[in-house]
Amino acid sequence: MTLSSAEQHELRSTARALLGRASTSKRVREVVASEAGFDADLWKQMVELGWTSIHVPERLGGAGCGYADLAVVLHELGRAFTPSPFLATAVLATGALLAADHDEVAVPVLAELVAGGSLGTVAFASVGGSYEPAQRSVSWSPDGTAVQLNGAAGYVVDAAASDVLVVAARAVDGTTAVMLVDATSAGLRVERMQTIDLTQRLFNVSFDGVRVAAEQMLTEPGPRAEALLDRLLTLGVVATASDAAGIAEQALESTAQYARERIQFGRPIGSFQAVKHHCANMAVAVEASRATTKAAATDLDGEPAGWRTTAGITASYVGPACSEVCALAMRVHAGIGFTWEHDTHMWMKRAKLDEVLFGRPAWHRRRLADDMFPVLAAK
Amino acid sequence: MLEPGGALAELRVGVRHWCEAHVPPGWRHQQRGADHAELVEFLRWWGGELRCSGLFAPHWPREWGGGFSVEEQVVIAEELARGDVPRNALFHVAVFNVAPTLFHNATREQRDRFLPGIRDGEVWCQGYSEPDAGSDLASLQTRAVRDGDRYIVNGQKVWTSWAREADWCMLLVRTDPSEAKHQGISCLVVDMHSPGIAVRPIQQAWGPADFNEVFFDNVVIPVENRLGPEHGGWGVAQGTLAAERAISILEMTERLRHHGIEGAIREAVAWRLERGEVALDDPAVRELLAECWAEVHVVRNVLNQMIDDIILGVDVSGSSSVIKVLYSELLHRMMLRITDLRGVAGQIDAGVLACAGWETGFWMNDFIHSFGWLIGGGTNEIQRNVIGERMLGLPR
Ligand SMILES: Cc1cc2nc3c(=O)[nH]c(=O)nc-3n(C[C@H](O)[C@H](O)[C@H](O)COP(=O)(O)OP(=O)(O)OC[C@H]3O[C@@H](n4cnc5c(N)ncnc54)[C@H](O)[C@@H]3O)c2cc1C
Repeated sequence: MTLSSAEQHELRSTARALLGRASTSKRVREVVASEAGFDADLWKQMVELGWTSIHVPERLGGAGCGYADLAVVLHELGRAFTPSPFLATAVLATGALLAADHDEVAVPVLAELVAGGSLGTVAFASVGGSYEPAQRSVSWSPDGTAVQLNGAAGYVVDAAASDVLVVAARAVDGTTAVMLVDATSAGLRVERMQTIDLTQRLFNVSFDGVRVAAEQMLTEPGPRAEALLDRLLTLGVVATASDAAGIAEQALESTAQYARERIQFGRPIGSFQAVKHHCANMAVAVEASRATTKAAATDLDGEPAGWRTTAGITASYVGPACSEVCALAMRVHAGIGFTWEHDTHMWMKRAKLDEVLFGRPAWHRRRLADDMFPVLAAK
Repeated sequence: MLEPGGALAELRVGVRHWCEAHVPPGWRHQQRGADHAELVEFLRWWGGELRCSGLFAPHWPREWGGGFSVEEQVVIAEELARGDVPRNALFHVAVFNVAPTLFHNATREQRDRFLPGIRDGEVWCQGYSEPDAGSDLASLQTRAVRDGDRYIVNGQKVWTSWAREADWCMLLVRTDPSEAKHQGISCLVVDMHSPGIAVRPIQQAWGPADFNEVFFDNVVIPVENRLGPEHGGWGVAQGTLAAERAISILEMTERLRHHGIEGAIREAVAWRLERGEVALDDPAVRELLAECWAEVHVVRNVLNQMIDDIILGVDVSGSSSVIKVLYSELLHRMMLRITDLRGVAGQIDAGVLACAGWETGFWMNDFIHSFGWLIGGGTNEIQRNVIGERMLGLPR
């Protein structure tokens, strides 16, 4: 059961109030400079509020609501550009375990993630940041009763903080496998990738003969494993789009306020039409991004058959639109917006990472074309 | 006759069957290159077909033959677009602009006088813009002088769509020149057959002559034809209401999907690029068409949000400007891009198809036509002012 709109409203207010206190710009700046990279106290509160279990079925200890509700939290985390393990643990790792066929492996770990006892992530991009199966740069091969992993994955969110990793690997014959790997496994190494946005940490994860018990597979290797990864990619796209829509909304509100207050030539700059139209363009993009991420998150609560299309539509529009909103925010703020001290660059950088973390918009359009054009052309 | 109040799925099937039975096969082909008289005759005939079906004005109140809920109106708009119906262009002003004004701002007697005529196929036009009053509509100069129980009107309107065909005109005039410009305006209903009215067609950039100049020379209008209070016409003429705009843009967006972008994708199987390759196999073409296809869904998502809000009773007047900007600029950009893709082959004139929407598949024509959507109903620059001032609270 997804939440009613009144309940969603309640969730949004709670989130906004908490993050308004605990994820101020000043606090975010302290946290990103810290060892952990996120605020453990805040994370504890997020878990206690039940945010990590919103979309987890009741039989698995969750609230049994949906992705449409989870997206409310993601949107608010974007607004406050909160550094947190939410994307990696609650969306990606939890999403992978929820989609797993092998409950014996998934359920106990899921319980730990939901309860905040451990953190997780998914390693499914190639070292070059591609999600195409053929580009996968971790390989697996049978090794007695276990399998052995070699190679590396790139752009893994929050890998250093994670206790468990869901790893996608490719056999010599091209068969895909998805398995749960303990972060402390021998031969597994995590190395920070220095990225521009400081609020999300990305890692290169390398595997040097890492042995994983065969029972750790989340599903049968082959098409089922590939389908699981496809769903995870959609989750990532929708989650980052929700985050970006939140950032853009915040950027719009702050920019409109600045345009109402900043005086030049004896008038508020918002009365100058060039500025007013920048703001109006931001409002149009924010409205369209909000409606689209909401529709996408609602799709995730429906049949997986349409998920790739959802990912394509969302990724094609929302990322670029929200980045443009942040760009306009910087132009309207001008000098002050170009300072490290002001938040505009924080918005801009996080929105730009959101836009490409789960694949370039252009790549998603190509996938959309590959999936849809044969159907549409035959209509 | 389709009726409101049943199951949505049945209504959908009903409209679908109605379209299959009534949309003349090959109308797009037959009407291409039609002259003005043929166009008007076709549109009158088509309006009649719609009137017999219950689909002419689904958003009107039940007592006037509408009564379809917002959800039902969405289904109807979707199915009409899917069924590739001709556009009800000749009656659009009457059904979407005049009738809502009558429901909200007219007396019972006025409704009883004018609405049955609309239902019987009378054509209306909207006389707002003037040569010196476009975006700054409130500066209009057409003058009405009160003379007992009648007004004497003198002045000129311009860009008046369908004025030659119109039986009636909803006209904005200045009744009190001494007042501030928004205060001295009244809204009158004019019988277009009155003595003293001269109408001159103006050919549009894309070919057809749908709009006109209208001259008023001592035209007599009875006072009972005034909508709303004297000097209070500015509030009466608020323009299309947000809910109606959402539904009509929804139909246009669905047309843009079925016949616009999906039509282009179907065509691109047969297009050849310079090196002989099939256009739909070219990566750049694929990306561009996929992006447009995705954006049609984005516009639809915004419309769905508006519809949800309308059903919940949330005010969507702010979104009304947003959706106009989004739809019209997507239309415009899409037509431009597809025209560009076609290269010089896209420059062949195969004749204008004036009774469809803005996505006839003759992309260069559609591109030129699409400027009308950027301009009409308040230019997009004005819409951006409205968004900035009303939604974001920016100073004027
Ligand atoms: C196809 C079509 C059908 C039409 N049908 C009708 C009809 O049936 N009845 C009717 O009354 N009218 C009709 N119109 C007229 C339409 O409403 C006007 O064209 C429109 O309001 C703009 O007025 P204008 O053409 O005088 O342009 P102007 O107001 O002269 O505008 C010229 C340019 O200046 C810009 N501009 C003006 N003021 C501002 C401002 N304050 N801020 C920023 N930019 C500004 C405009 O955006 C535009 O780019 C129709 C127009 C079209 C294209």
